Amino acid sequence: MGTERKLENRRKFFQTSAALIGGTLMYSLIKPFEAIAQTKEEDISEDKAELPLWGMGVDLESCIGCGKCAEACKIENNVPKEPFYFRTWVEQYTVKNDGEVKIESPNGGIGGLKQSVPDEEIFKSFMVPKLCNHCTKAPCVQACPVGATFISPDGVVLVDETYCIGCSYCIQACPYGARYMNPITKVVDKCTFCYHRITKGLQPACVEVCPTDARIFGNLRDKKSDLVNFLQDNPTQVLKPHLNTHSRVFYNGLSSEVK
Amino acid sequence: MPKLIFRLFFSFVLFVSVFILIQQQLKPESFGKYGHYRANSIDDNMMRTSYYKGEEKCSTCHEEVADLKSNDLHSGVSCESCHSPKIDASIECEVMPPKVEGNLEFCGQCHAMNLGRLKKGAPQLDFKEHKEGQNCIECHNPHAPWELKEN
Repeated sequence: MGTERKLENRRKFFQTSAALIGGTLMYSLIKPFEAIAQTKEEDISEDKAELPLWGMGVDLESCIGCGKCAEACKIENNVPKEPFYFRTWVEQYTVKNDGEVKIESPNGGIGGLKQSVPDEEIFKSFMVPKLCNHCTKAPCVQACPVGATFISPDGVVLVDETYCIGCSYCIQACPYGARYMNPITKVVDKCTFCYHRITKGLQPACVEVCPTDARIFGNLRDKKSDLVNFLQDNPTQVLKPHLNTHSRVFYNGLSSEVK
Repeated sequence: MPKLIFRLFFSFVLFVSVFILIQQQLKPESFGKYGHYRANSIDDNMMRTSYYKGEEKCSTCHEEVADLKSNDLHSGVSCESCHSPKIDASIECEVMPPKVEGNLEFCGQCHAMNLGRLKKGAPQLDFKEHKEGQNCIECHNPHAPWELKEN
């Protein structure tokens, strides 16, 4: 009787395991097809609409370093007020007569940048607004271990706040220093081109408030957009082109001193 | 089939199946729709509150000021460049008018002398020579800078 019961138990065990495995395999086989069946129609409609490809132009010849953009960005995106959290900021580069380069950005340029070097020592001086460059080959996206940062179909590098684990690998990976750890939400935050505004047809907050139109925002696929006109009229350059990030923020009048 | 091989094969299949099952359960909804990320996160990013409303919204109530400004030097400057934005302007503008102190420090954000500022951007003034100690709005109307007030 003992052996019979053992055998029966073993048979039952094998039967239930086989059913479990079979069921799981079937489920996993069907699931991907389900997803395809559901998204097929949506994909077609999206192709028809032809998504925009967002980008920004920065005209360094117009920028006066008033810091309005950095201020507006903080208000619009609830960025902490402390002077070391920025989605966008303005730097003042000063090249002295002896060739030394001084880079200043007190409080990200909010409140207007002031020159600290006496005029007679200055060889040249200029302002450089900085922000996330929305790279086509973004190093931060590659560094993220959980897929919490990504390039959206319209070309904006976004952060999934509910999915970010706060490991800050992306902050280290970003060659432009465009990311910071938000002390309130404890996740990484960065410029989104004001994604909540541009998807509703508005301009990003920094572009909206710029008094000299030094920032030009638009759709790179639309040949009539302001941005495409700007790129056609001006010789532009991206920051750190040797890193091959293929960024979508284009600077006009960029000096070689800019890092 | 030798018993050992069968057991090995069986446990391998079991392991893979359990892995797939757990992965399917833990994977968030819409993950992998467009790539290695949660597609719904795009909607989350779209849903944020917007503060800056743009000049058109302001000029629905403040038509006179908007007209004055649009015909003068500050026409390229948006209302919200100087006046702080409101979430609901129709209520908040009454309670907390977005007043701006037209002093040297505020106007100096754009107009104070700085060699890094190119002259084509905005007129640059040395405030030590130009009316030291006075507030800009004592003479200038910020919406039409060259309509000088009489002292």
